[in-house]
Amino acid sequence: MGSVVTYVGLSLVLFAIGAVGVCIRRNAIVVFMCIEMMLNAVNLAFVAFSKLQGNLDGQVAVFFVMVIAAAESAIGLAIIIALFRNLVSVETTDAAQLKW
Amino acid sequence: MELGILLIKVFVVMNVSLVLASLCTWLERKGSALIQDRVGANRAGAFVESKRWYLKPALPVIRAMGWLGVINTLMCDSLKGLWKEDFVPEGASKFLHALAPVIAVLPIMLAFAVLPLAPDFTLGGYTIHPRVAAIDGGLLFVLAMGSVAVYGVAIAGWTGNNKFSLLGALRAAAQMMSYELPMGLVFVALIVVYGTLDVYSIVEGQQKLLWGFIPMWGIVLQPVGFVVLLLAGMAETKRGPFDLPEAESELVAGYFTEYSGMKFLLFWLGEFAEIALFALLLALLFFGGWDIPWVTLPQGAWWAALIGHIVLMTKVVFFCVLQIVIRWTLPRFRYDQLMNMGWKMLLPVALANLVITAVLKVAL
Amino acid sequence: MSFMGFVLSAVAVASALGVVFNRNPLYSAFHLIVNLLAMAGVYSVLDAHFLAVTQVVVYAGAIMVLVLFVLMLLNLKAGSGRKLGIFRPLCAIAVACSVVTTVYPAVESNFKDLSLHELQEKAWRSEGTVKAVGEELYGRYVRQFELSSLVLLIGIVGAVTLSKRKEGKIGPREGGLGGGK
Repeated sequence: MGSVVTYVGLSLVLFAIGAVGVCIRRNAIVVFMCIEMMLNAVNLAFVAFSKLQGNLDGQVAVFFVMVIAAAESAIGLAIIIALFRNLVSVETTDAAQLKW
Repeated sequence: MELGILLIKVFVVMNVSLVLASLCTWLERKGSALIQDRVGANRAGAFVESKRWYLKPALPVIRAMGWLGVINTLMCDSLKGLWKEDFVPEGASKFLHALAPVIAVLPIMLAFAVLPLAPDFTLGGYTIHPRVAAIDGGLLFVLAMGSVAVYGVAIAGWTGNNKFSLLGALRAAAQMMSYELPMGLVFVALIVVYGTLDVYSIVEGQQKLLWGFIPMWGIVLQPVGFVVLLLAGMAETKRGPFDLPEAESELVAGYFTEYSGMKFLLFWLGEFAEIALFALLLALLFFGGWDIPWVTLPQGAWWAALIGHIVLMTKVVFFCVLQIVIRWTLPRFRYDQLMNMGWKMLLPVALANLVITAVLKVAL
Repeated sequence: MSFMGFVLSAVAVASALGVVFNRNPLYSAFHLIVNLLAMAGVYSVLDAHFLAVTQVVVYAGAIMVLVLFVLMLLNLKAGSGRKLGIFRPLCAIAVACSVVTTVYPAVESNFKDLSLHELQEKAWRSEGTVKAVGEELYGRYVRQFELSSLVLLIGIVGAVTLSKRKEGKIGPREGGLGGGK
């Protein structure tokens, strides 16, 4: 059953891809989607470890991460819409009014 | 052998869902005609003649079917759809345009996989469970497939490349998502009452008798839930008085304005398959499935399963006809009335139903 | 790794790359939907059945529909914006690769000492059925469960408050509804 550890490797790869996406992309919505992907990768790591440990603590943690991700997505998208109303753009480099 | 049984089950389930969808198409055409006090389609195949001797015995049957509009609906509509020009609007992605009807239909077909169509029976030493996938979260899976079907609508409206399609699609998607909530709450109330997510166990649980003479059907234990699920289901399938997204008089054709030919028919097939799915859900969850009220058939006999299947299909056809009659009888809601009803009326009612059910279940 | 697990993981990685490296944000969203559905499949392979269905209902069925709404309403043109150059992406990819190749052997070596039989025994006891997860949620974690409902309430109130318009601002918005690729 050492093959379940491969899923932890998969979760690492997905997390890395999401992190690269957050660094590279400037569209705020795409950055948000990459963050969701990172959360998903963490969920996968939780599930894999839950299977390795033989109890359900990891799966309960995944449940709570999903709840938080849902709340965060609602607020994040509301923020993006409010930003768009004022700037007519969702590029993160355009929201630079506080820059000195 | 297991694989063979599985393949046969998949074949049977796909047949049942597609035959029910076609039946609903025919019922819609002829039933709407009768409701609207007109005759409906009765020309194709009604006057067919033939000089060949081996076709002569079949002619009266074909003429009768043509007179009833069956040939018109089943053969002529499909052939017309297949041979129409299939255009993609300018500036839209061909792949997404073709993908949208598939996403609208596929989850509905998948949802048929977890619903049982007959009681368990044994045949030649094998116990056959007539559902394709006995997964752990049966009812939740149906809810999940309802959630995924929203994408077909949204993508269809987007690839139309015009404002009317997009507006219709977003309104339809918002409507479907709003009505998933009361639906989910009714499912939770059913889970509280019957104690399991597996639809087969829920049907089994309905075969007991309450106080000796009332069958413990879902409608007896959850009448409010039945009404809420009927309304939410009709709103989810964008049928009935909730069909503003595809309103012919308001938004051209809503989110499938830019579709023609087979893709258009695929949307309609998906819609009728969804009607069949909700009819099946109502029959299984609230009307005892294959249960005849005070008759107990022996478990495991194959003829008992056949009778149960026929009883279930009768109930399903009844609910299909009910949905079609409701659609052609009532005028449609305005969009804000629709959203009002979903959020301010159905959701509190479903929540109250859940709370009262939970309290009663613990107290009794 | 079972065959289905391998196929689903490959789909997940491919769609993840599609999310990051696609010019059109709408196509990124579609790739993310595929990724989330593939992850739901992977959860099912890892015996977390309740989580698999919950993932489809919550993530792929609700959150991504919200994102799709926002993208369709904003109607952004693909690939607009200044060029980024090659240095920053290359750095990011290099750091990511080095992190993955450093961390994974450390994690894997942790599980090499356990014998195969012990791992199998432990794995069998974690059946993620609805009943089991429900018992955990309402048993040991009931306080966190109730608190998470509070978090959701805060999310609802926040989202509605943030997206209210100021009174009196009625008129066409720039870059609004359109339709397109």
